[in-house]
Amino acid sequence: MRNLKVALAILGSTAMTTPVFADNHLRVVDTPLELTIHMHWPRAQGYGVGGDTSKIYPVEQAAREMTGIHLIDRTSGRNTTNNSEAMNLLLATGNLPDIVGGNAIQQPVNQYGPEGAFVPLNDLVREHAPNIQAFWDNNPGLMEAISAADGNYYYIPYLPDGKFGRAWYIRQDWLDKLGLEQPQNVDEYYEVLKAFREQDPNGNGRKDEIPYFARQWEEVLRLLNLWDARSSGSDTYHDFYVNDDGQVVHPYAQEAYRVGLSNIAKWYAEGLIDPEIFTRGASSRDYLLSENLGGSTHDWFASTSGYNIPLAEKVPGMNFIPFLPPASANGVRMEEHRRIPIKPDGWAISYANQHPVETVKYFDFFFTPEGRNLANFGVEGKTWDMVDGEPVYKPEVLNSDQAVNSQMYLEGAQIFRGFPQDYRYEWQWTSEAAREGIELYEANDLLIDQFLGVAFNAEEQAFYDKFWPSLLTYMLERQQAWILGSGNVEADWDAYLSTLDRMGYAQVIEVMNSAHKRQYGG
Amino acid sequence: MTNMNLYSRGDRAFVFLNMVLIALFTISTLYPFIYIASLSLSSGFEARAGNVILTPVGFTLEAYKRVLAEPLFWASYKNTFIYTIGGTLMSLAFIIPGAYALSRPQLYGRRFWNLMVAFTMWFHAGMIPFFLNMRDLGLLDSYFGIIIGFAVNGFNIILLRNFFEGIPQSFEEAARMDGASEFQVLWKVYMPLSKPAIATVALFCIVSRWNGFFWAMVLLQDESKIPLQVYLRKVIAELSDDEEFANSLMTAAYSFETVSAAIMVCSIIPILLIYPFLQKYFSKGILLGGVKE
Amino acid sequence: MSSDPNVTGPRTETLVADASEALRRRKGSRVQRVGDHLKREWQLYVMLIPTILWLLIFLYKPMYGLQIAFKDYSIFRGVAGSPWVGLEHFQTLFGNEQFLRALKNTVIISFYSLIFGFPMPILLALMFNEILHQTFKKTAQTIVYLPHFISSVIIAGIVITAFSPSAGIVNTVMGWFGVDPVYFLTRPEWFRPIFVGTSIWQEAGFQSIVYLAAIAGVSPTLYESAVVDGASRWQMMWKITIPSILPTIIIMLIIRIGNMLEVSFEMIILLYQPATYQTADVVNTFIYRQGIQGGQYDLAAAAGLFNAGVAFVLVMTANTIAKRYSRTSLW
Repeated sequence: MRNLKVALAILGSTAMTTPVFADNHLRVVDTPLELTIHMHWPRAQGYGVGGDTSKIYPVEQAAREMTGIHLIDRTSGRNTTNNSEAMNLLLATGNLPDIVGGNAIQQPVNQYGPEGAFVPLNDLVREHAPNIQAFWDNNPGLMEAISAADGNYYYIPYLPDGKFGRAWYIRQDWLDKLGLEQPQNVDEYYEVLKAFREQDPNGNGRKDEIPYFARQWEEVLRLLNLWDARSSGSDTYHDFYVNDDGQVVHPYAQEAYRVGLSNIAKWYAEGLIDPEIFTRGASSRDYLLSENLGGSTHDWFASTSGYNIPLAEKVPGMNFIPFLPPASANGVRMEEHRRIPIKPDGWAISYANQHPVETVKYFDFFFTPEGRNLANFGVEGKTWDMVDGEPVYKPEVLNSDQAVNSQMYLEGAQIFRGFPQDYRYEWQWTSEAAREGIELYEANDLLIDQFLGVAFNAEEQAFYDKFWPSLLTYMLERQQAWILGSGNVEADWDAYLSTLDRMGYAQVIEVMNSAHKRQYGG
Repeated sequence: MTNMNLYSRGDRAFVFLNMVLIALFTISTLYPFIYIASLSLSSGFEARAGNVILTPVGFTLEAYKRVLAEPLFWASYKNTFIYTIGGTLMSLAFIIPGAYALSRPQLYGRRFWNLMVAFTMWFHAGMIPFFLNMRDLGLLDSYFGIIIGFAVNGFNIILLRNFFEGIPQSFEEAARMDGASEFQVLWKVYMPLSKPAIATVALFCIVSRWNGFFWAMVLLQDESKIPLQVYLRKVIAELSDDEEFANSLMTAAYSFETVSAAIMVCSIIPILLIYPFLQKYFSKGILLGGVKE
Repeated sequence: MSSDPNVTGPRTETLVADASEALRRRKGSRVQRVGDHLKREWQLYVMLIPTILWLLIFLYKPMYGLQIAFKDYSIFRGVAGSPWVGLEHFQTLFGNEQFLRALKNTVIISFYSLIFGFPMPILLALMFNEILHQTFKKTAQTIVYLPHFISSVIIAGIVITAFSPSAGIVNTVMGWFGVDPVYFLTRPEWFRPIFVGTSIWQEAGFQSIVYLAAIAGVSPTLYESAVVDGASRWQMMWKITIPSILPTIIIMLIIRIGNMLEVSFEMIILLYQPATYQTADVVNTFIYRQGIQGGQYDLAAAAGLFNAGVAFVLVMTANTIAKRYSRTSLW
């Protein structure tokens, strides 16, 4: 009965739009095939407009017409916003839909895939998904990065495009007022922050300026880069990184860290860093900029560029702009943060799926030019048009009150299916100020390689779980204490290193490197 | 009938000091509510920047417009009433007779039954087994499942049983002589005498139902059945996901902070209104009526 | 009604009932006795059965889940399909010095909460009882229980602002007396006072309701005769009110002791910093950080089982003591 209704609905909709998709090269199946899907992500807990599964995404409608595959919602935990809880409920019932997708699925998929809950994709993709395979071939290392400990990979990820995320920002108008140039290296940066602190650039007669601030306290660690130390190897804070010798190490156990941290402690003691950086939290950027107090930060291009115009009335002349990362003590300019090329989000095929080949062909569709545009920009002719071979949003999309990403989510584009993102999507609605900053960073060679993580086997995982959380806890405790001035990193360093050793640092590094070697070769 | 004459002159300083202390404490506890009310009436940017301290900054009703315009808000509000009223009545239907039976000295295995109740206060099955059990019972995604699944609570039973035990048995003698059954003794003697205790237990049930969200989140699939607290969490999750594209929010009249404050205000007001209604049972003189009969 | 109900204590009847019960017991066989008993008291069992059945179906039946504390639990394989690992999770916990520190912190924080937090709602209820002005009393009562309904995130935000070194009210007031600002929330020695103080302030009003109800149950005739004897308010509070609500206090105390190892996890997460872990990290937050890598239900279950076991021993002890000295007990 339900199938009949669905069939009628398809007939109706196909009749309306057939002329657009006259050719059939994208079809996966000749007769419509229904596949069930779990799709749980922050914006929608369910595969339907805004999570309302009675409404079909325009993108899904178009994909049905193009491929013949019909995705039917069967999301678990539709009322919890916690995706791992939803995934756990789904797995606990054992009654999996054909496709399991959404936010942060890598960990569960790689844990339960080898136990038989999900289908390994290596062979399926090689045989039936030429476009996905081509993507792996063109981007070496990514497929390895998402593999589970058994060497197979179990999901097709959401693959973000674009390079730069965060950048260094400074109050250019304060620099101008004090007759200073943009700082080019760590010493000049120190002098500038010192001047912000002491010479009252906001002109209110009080020394209330906060030279360096951050919304996430962890961004204070970014200053480590100025002394050639690392704060993290990826876009997750406190992550491992691969050093010049190809070894996985942790930044907080390196000699450079000692030097960097003692300088950060000095800057903190001198009032160059927000004294309340650990508790001010998410509101600090809004507060410190709108009160004309904050001087410099390290934060996202997209959102940090947006303050000058709305605050023009309240803070006349405000000009908060990106500047190039100051060169380190050894003369290296680098931007440690970049967008990760691969997300733990995406979709996987469950063991219950009777049509794995059709499903993987369907996954492949979103890596074809047509499917990729559909997944990025929505339905052609509705939200965008092809202009000189470029997908361009219609003016009503760009000029809407609603942000473009929010509009896309309701269309069914940019949702957390496995697809390669197209940076042209974001570029079109990035503000002029942010574009200039991104171009400035692009023009200089600032990017460094990301650590994409490793997949442990059971034994390595056990070691890691046993030692690592406590090690990290200890590192962070010491770190914060040193910055706050209780304890001195120079004096405590040897004791610190020997404590790390006693707590199993060497073992963790060993399993990290054995897993890394197995996964990426070398 | 209270009670000017109860106060001797020597008590005056004591009474005055007491009033002052209570007043100070009360003012301090009023602050968070004033704070969220002001937050809900402030502009989105000021609220995000942490500029709201006591009174609204950049007064606007946009957050309320955003919340009240949502059909799901009203549906979830209605559901919260269903779960609260239904759940509380269901709980009392179990707890009152259960606690009464457990309070009776002649009950065989009384110690064992009481231990069995107390045991559940510390040993819990864990989330997944509880969820699977509810599924096996066919109680997922239903109003009835939520209402029955959390009806009994060890703490409330013990509390009420303890109150029942405190009632002197001499009160029931008259009823016993008239040949009243246990049901009649409970209904006619114990319940009228235990109004403050029953009101307390009812209040605890109401409050936990009103505030409860975790299991509703886990057990309900259908969005039309969710209670207000689950809706609140959904809105918060959705708004906080805007974080990275925050510049569009800067000029917006509402923000994640103001909208969640507005929902919180809406969800607190009914519970504020119900308290004075139950409060009358906490005033004195209940037993007096019983004695004079 | 001939006798004063409070002179004839509730237990006298119990003793009489027990005595006559014992007398009856001597007659007839066991089966007959049970039969007689059920015939006479069947209504009590009808009242009890729904509750017991409910407990069995909803709480006891899924308790097989406790065994994951001894298993390498995989959600997909289920409880039965997951392999046994014996005491491995307990060894993981107790072999970790940070767990032992968290355990110590939990006990200390709970102990502070018990010492300072347990008497507060009682005190508050007694103070309310002394207020003459009915409107003032009712309004104040309605207000003090408000913070209970405000989410931890908001409360934590208020606390962080209040203790901020630059703008916080606490440092501002300290400044009037010439004291230098303190960054309280990064100072290990301040974490426990701030946390315990916050939870007392947030919950005392709501928790006082139980005692208000108990006080409401005290017979006014007692106060009336005390007034005739010329007793002061102070004396009446000590001689009448407190003894009358003592059973409630004892029950609440036993339950509180049983919750010794449970510390509000949400609030700690919101208020603590790496710099204050040494005094702030509790068992629940420790487990939370251990599980960053994904659902460690098994480890959490082991910690939970340990908590429950300790709680149960504490409660049994408290219960036995209470039973001996006050005749009030949980079971």
